[in-house]
Amino acid sequence: MEGVIGFFQYFWDIREMVFVLTVRHAWMALAGVALGTLTAVPIGILISRKPRAGNVVIDLAGMLYTIPSLALLGFLLPFMGLGWLPTITALVIYSWLPVLRNTVTGILGVDPAAKEAAKGMGATPYQLLINVELPMALPVIMAAIRTVAVLTVGITVMGALVGARGLGELIFQGISMMNNWTILAGTIPVSIMALLFDYLLGRLERRLKVVTSSA
Amino acid sequence: MTREISVELQKVSKLYGQDKVVDEVSFTVEKGEVFVMIGPSGCGKTTTLKMINQLIPHSSGNILVNGTDVAELDVVELRRSIGYVIQYIGLLPHLTIQENIAFVLKLTKHPKKMQKDRAEELIETVGLPLNYLNRYPRELSGGQQQRVGVARALAANPDILLMDEPFGAVDPLTREQLQNELLRLQESIQKTIVFVTHDMQEAFKVGNRIGILRQGKLVCLGTPMEIVKSDDEFVKNFIGQGALFEVFDTIPVTRVLQKDFPTARYDQKVDLQAEELEDWENVFIIDSDDSCKGYIPLSSLNSDGSYTADQIIPLPKASSPDISVKLAVQEMLWGGRTWLPIVDEKSGFKGIVQFRSCAGLVAGDRR
Ligand SMILES: Nc1ncnc2c1ncn2[C@@H]1O[C@H](COP(=O)(O)OP(=O)(O)OP(=O)(O)O)[C@@H](O)[C@H]1O
Ligand SMILES: [Mg+2]
Repeated sequence: MEGVIGFFQYFWDIREMVFVLTVRHAWMALAGVALGTLTAVPIGILISRKPRAGNVVIDLAGMLYTIPSLALLGFLLPFMGLGWLPTITALVIYSWLPVLRNTVTGILGVDPAAKEAAKGMGATPYQLLINVELPMALPVIMAAIRTVAVLTVGITVMGALVGARGLGELIFQGISMMNNWTILAGTIPVSIMALLFDYLLGRLERRLKVVTSSA
Repeated sequence: MTREISVELQKVSKLYGQDKVVDEVSFTVEKGEVFVMIGPSGCGKTTTLKMINQLIPHSSGNILVNGTDVAELDVVELRRSIGYVIQYIGLLPHLTIQENIAFVLKLTKHPKKMQKDRAEELIETVGLPLNYLNRYPRELSGGQQQRVGVARALAANPDILLMDEPFGAVDPLTREQLQNELLRLQESIQKTIVFVTHDMQEAFKVGNRIGILRQGKLVCLGTPMEIVKSDDEFVKNFIGQGALFEVFDTIPVTRVLQKDFPTARYDQKVDLQAEELEDWENVFIIDSDDSCKGYIPLSSLNSDGSYTADQIIPLPKASSPDISVKLAVQEMLWGGRTWLPIVDEKSGFKGIVQFRSCAGLVAGDRR
């Protein structure tokens, strides 16, 4: 019991630093998810048109996905230097596989009867994409984005090793000083952030569904 | 009398690799007619239909829509000008019924207000309650979804409708009801319809003319009566024995309905010189509200065409326009008459059916 009170006391003392690191952590993670999605969804749409060539792209993204985060950051370091750039780049690379794969799966999984009906009514390829394929694939794509968001919040922790100054800084500091309170002060905000992102993206998904269906 | 031709196929073929799934099919569909394509599963009905709106490009031959070769038309424009009811309904699950019905109007960027109005109008046309407009397709039964499919095809008010087994996914009773509704609707909208089915009864019922496909070839083409009299062995087997009687049991009485019967206004004399009296024994007396008061045999009219109210004989028991020719004949036999008035519950007196026009079907009279 005393320990808990002691921890809160400690947390309160370093609150300003925790706040600054949380904000940095959040924007790096968000930037990673956003850039990853913005690159992977269009590419996913393109390769869903040519599934065979698309497999090559997905395999490539799969290979990148298997690189351990520490190794990837170490590899990016000489090109990008220290800080947020290599971190966000790594986040984008990790988000590619899930988002690409689900975009392709989602679009290829759209009910052929629905597509045919829309085409038969004179939808142009672009109208078909916007009005039928994307809205119908949305749940599958959003599932990937939510997975990636949670993953990204975790990987951003590793960014501290290349000087990205996220909540990882507290965690690694705690590890090296063998100070559990410091580790906790970094871990708890990370966990809450992951849950929050997942929740918010869930809300966004519902909003998008309403928008696409009434547009 | 030459009629306008809406759709024409000239030796149209479709090849998938070496497979000729549609083989030099030719037919014409006249404006306002229901042309039925029928045949066993896999014979190429859907393929032929989809070549008309170019969802499937044809390999050879010519397809003309309203006189223009589809090869010269923009496919998007072509499809927007043709209503299409697909085989598997294909409603868009993420859109409400209203958005589904108005989908074409959205594609062509019509104002929202107009989309809504049109959806409201059409959902009524296909006999569904207005509040269904806010539902999603999964909240409707199969038959209701098929009605929405038909409403959607009508949204842009196309002259031509392609319907691929539009009533395939419902029980026989609902199917019959939908067929009756289609016939009624067709009477008022007069579209050119190319209709695919594999149900012979349905073909007899809705088709003005029927084409039978077999392995991509059109083996028989004609009115229901011509079809049942075909000598072709395959056709005989396909339509089954006793089809001749079936035809009478399925062809709707409206196909032999006469609307050009002689009439006179209630308060006016009958013009005995009128040409329309030829071949008729009775003249029908129409009231000021356009309902039929009854009839008077020509023989009992005064020589100047005048008559008194008590000479008017009330119409005998009327039949619904949904009955088959066979039932109509049966009614006549029961009543010991040679004609029958047809009255619709909603729209009132529609016309009369004569025994001789029923018999005319046998002789192969058109329609
Ligand atoms: N993309 C394709 N590639 C190769 N063959 C095809 C293709 N699409 C259809 N076929 C073949 O073409 C033939 C005709 O198919 P179609 O869909 O027109 O049949 P149908 O008469 O509509 O049958 P059903 O009553 O079952 O709907 C079938 O044998 C089918 O296997
Ligand atoms: Mg078919």
